[in-house]
Amino acid sequence: MSQFGKVWVRLSENPKRGEPVEVRAMVIHPMESGFRLDNVGRPIPRHIVDNFLCAYAGTPVFRAKLHPAMSANPYFVFYVVAEESGDLVLTWTDDRGEAASHSVRLEVT
Amino acid sequence: MTQLIRSDRRAFLVKSAALTGGLTLGVRFPAFAQAAASTAEGPEITHWIVIRPDDTVLIRIARSELGQGSFTGLAMLAAEELECDWGKVQAEYADVNEHVRRNRIFGSMSTGGSRGIRDSQEYVRKGGAAAREMLVAAAAKEWGVSATECSAAKGVITHAPSNRSTTYGKVAGAASQLEVPKEPKLKDPSQWTLIGTSPPRFDIPAKTTGKQIYTADVRLPGLLHASIAQCPVFGGKVKTFDDSKIKSMRGVKKVVRGEDWVAVVADNWWRANQALKRVSIEWDVGESGNVSSESIMQFLRTGIDAKEAPVARKDGDAEKAIVGAAKVVEAEYYAPYVNHATMEPQTATALFKDGKVEVWVGTQNGETSIAAAAEASGVPLESAYVHKMHAGGGFGRRGPHQEYTKQAVQIAQSMPGTPVSLQWSREEDIQQGRYRPVALVKLRGGLDAQGNWLAWHVRQADQSILITVRPTDIKNGIDPVNVRCFQDNPYAVPNFTNEYAMRNTHVPPGFWRAVAHTNNPFFRECFIDELAHAAGRDPYQFRRPLLQQKPKDLGVLDAVAKAVAWGTPAPNGVHRGIAVVDSYGSYTAAAVEISVKDGTQIEVKRVVVAIDSGYVVHRDAVKAQIEGGVLWGLGSAMHEEITLKDGRVTQSNFSDYALLRLAEAPGRIECIIMPSGGFWGGVGEPPIGGVVPALCNAIFAATGKRVRSLPLKNHGFSYAV
Amino acid sequence: MDAEFGRRRALTALAVGALVLVVRPAAATPETLAVALRETFGDRPIAQGRIKLEIPRLAENGNIVPVTITVDSPMTEADYVESIHVFAERNPLPRVLQVELGPHNGRARIATRIRLAVSQQVRAVAIMNDETLWSTAADVEVTVGGCDP
Repeated sequence: MSQFGKVWVRLSENPKRGEPVEVRAMVIHPMESGFRLDNVGRPIPRHIVDNFLCAYAGTPVFRAKLHPAMSANPYFVFYVVAEESGDLVLTWTDDRGEAASHSVRLEVT
Repeated sequence: MTQLIRSDRRAFLVKSAALTGGLTLGVRFPAFAQAAASTAEGPEITHWIVIRPDDTVLIRIARSELGQGSFTGLAMLAAEELECDWGKVQAEYADVNEHVRRNRIFGSMSTGGSRGIRDSQEYVRKGGAAAREMLVAAAAKEWGVSATECSAAKGVITHAPSNRSTTYGKVAGAASQLEVPKEPKLKDPSQWTLIGTSPPRFDIPAKTTGKQIYTADVRLPGLLHASIAQCPVFGGKVKTFDDSKIKSMRGVKKVVRGEDWVAVVADNWWRANQALKRVSIEWDVGESGNVSSESIMQFLRTGIDAKEAPVARKDGDAEKAIVGAAKVVEAEYYAPYVNHATMEPQTATALFKDGKVEVWVGTQNGETSIAAAAEASGVPLESAYVHKMHAGGGFGRRGPHQEYTKQAVQIAQSMPGTPVSLQWSREEDIQQGRYRPVALVKLRGGLDAQGNWLAWHVRQADQSILITVRPTDIKNGIDPVNVRCFQDNPYAVPNFTNEYAMRNTHVPPGFWRAVAHTNNPFFRECFIDELAHAAGRDPYQFRRPLLQQKPKDLGVLDAVAKAVAWGTPAPNGVHRGIAVVDSYGSYTAAAVEISVKDGTQIEVKRVVVAIDSGYVVHRDAVKAQIEGGVLWGLGSAMHEEITLKDGRVTQSNFSDYALLRLAEAPGRIECIIMPSGGFWGGVGEPPIGGVVPALCNAIFAATGKRVRSLPLKNHGFSYAV
Repeated sequence: MDAEFGRRRALTALAVGALVLVVRPAAATPETLAVALRETFGDRPIAQGRIKLEIPRLAENGNIVPVTITVDSPMTEADYVESIHVFAERNPLPRVLQVELGPHNGRARIATRIRLAVSQQVRAVAIMNDETLWSTAADVEVTVGGCDP
């Protein structure tokens, strides 16, 4: 069963051509580090989002490799220069091969 | 300049201008009730010391005063080296916000683990010594002489060759400009004149006369009061609530909701609490709604019965030795959850205004409070201010756990500009504790035909506290705190195995004064008593040969045995018990004399506790810690037990969670303070360890009844009053 | 995903089994961090400067520590940040995050939230398109674990 929950993405308002747009993105995921112990002291298996990719009009513009030290519900703020209006596609993949994806339209004035 | 205007017997209304940048109300509370201004109107000579022109000395304290005397003790450490006039010394808490801005310049603010003195003593003494050197250097520079020709005593610097002298206040300005010496010279303990004495403590007068301001006494303009209800089943959340019945209640201002709590804010606490009782809250109790004391016991038993468990220590081959032993003693011991039951319930006052948050709280760690306040409100650390108040008892409740701080901040944030005083009701405090974990232990011991102790095997099943605060300390499933007393026991027994089976429940655990050195000494020292009796030997004499390599343990054990004339006949009807426990860097032993009426009513006639803490700073404070520790141990042994049903705590107030009453107190408590020097041991917790097992061993001597589970009331015992 | 992520110009190729992290390693120490740094950056010199790390001085329990990293770079084709690497010296594993950037970002600034097991130093290293490396570090005190019982 997928551990991925809701996705939340916000872009800064009124993106102007040639200017960086602020992207804030979060996905609900427990990011089980593998270092937590259960109630009888045994390690709980690791289960984390280990990769995050943002593509803009098909081109990768932000890539992150996450390790267990990333907090639950991984959250990123980054910037993308607004060129043409297009889709930002954000994809998170976890260490079990599950993925969550979200698309948001970047309208450039 | 702060001016305090007393408006009634217990509350102080403060009017003042801002003292340090960024304080919204410009309030800076002195840590003691006297109206003397505590503002730093003088230069800093190192960050620890401020010296005013009138020669008064302000010493900054990083740790917290919980009644244990550290506020005074830490000042004594600095003053000893500073060579100031003790009569001119005042103490104040180092400001937490300033501490953060100055990159944690005051070091750890954590007050726990009996570390307040022993962890700070070196750098606090160095602070005093550095300041003294700077002051002397400033005077020498002014006189154009060598500092080596000058001496300092009681705040006066003298240059004997030229017969000149000056005071600290006069050279403080110049001294503050000098570079702080990196390695100031410290006195040898043999040179101490202040450390080891008992000057009047800064906190005692106000606490005795009722003038002491605690968090709930803080009065600010427009202050409102809040009472809170948290989900009675730990881990649960608020589902819905209905506050329609209280909207028209007098004084009620607002209802605020958190993830797992609902609070009512009103113009006084009574109204807030009465209204809260009329809010009907539907809880989503989560997964643990069926947990009970019985189910917890079953869960612990799986730890005892498990085929294998992580091994904390293994010497020789206990299994084999026990199988081959002439006599085997086997016993199962149990200790319940207990609550800190601090006299002051959990309380915090908060104000959120202009993007800043201010908190007043009796915390054991100013840093956890400021971090909690910043995180709960979302403001940066630099915009959070914590006013440390003396706490009405800490005992480990008020350090890592800052729920009340966060709740107060969140409530205040929902009404910006209005300060809110949140006080947990006693019921809330009893039922939302951070409990000393429950523990079940199986012990087996083997004796040879001569009654010598050959082997023992201990299997512990208990709940880890560390897993909630520093889980990386747990290796191979073993909680290093919970195995104390077994894993590090002092007895030279050739075969010993200590196994630890972690069993964590939904009950939130916490560090209860002396932590594992409350239940584990009970298990260990009573079991050793059982072995001694099985061997037909005197319990004191049984222990002695096995402590030959541990002279400090032996030293305190011998001291209490001598004090009660162990080995000589006791007065008619009086029976004795003895125990030895080292903890937190110190060595303690206890001997208890009781008489028992009708087989159940225990009169504790005398308790003798010896402690070797290496050094002693405030002698009377150490005595007070021993006396308090004895009362703590005796009360918890008889009365204290937290039970659970339907996932929630059954007890709610002192009516069903009793503490020791005055009439139950022992006839005499004798304190043998025997610091042997050369090390710094703690004092806040160590005295407790030996009290309960010594008492239970005395009960066996008196009645033949071996108590293996606490509290004593469950066995039909009571204290004779 | 690109297994050589963030190491496009790494000089030192280590044997696959060189860093074996079994089930429950002991907490990373400054030594383990040194190994991780060496693995990632080889022997290349790492200078102080250009990169800024904003992280609170105190964290209550270390589960959600906000971090903002900014690099002084115009993010043009001529001068841009290629990757940012974050390490925590005393976590069970020292690596925290690797991020790949380019001129298309326009601004060399990222923010996220990380977990710190205990009080420790957090380090951020930026690799520029001209192959220079820039580093900064900050201490964080995790207060709840500070109470030594």
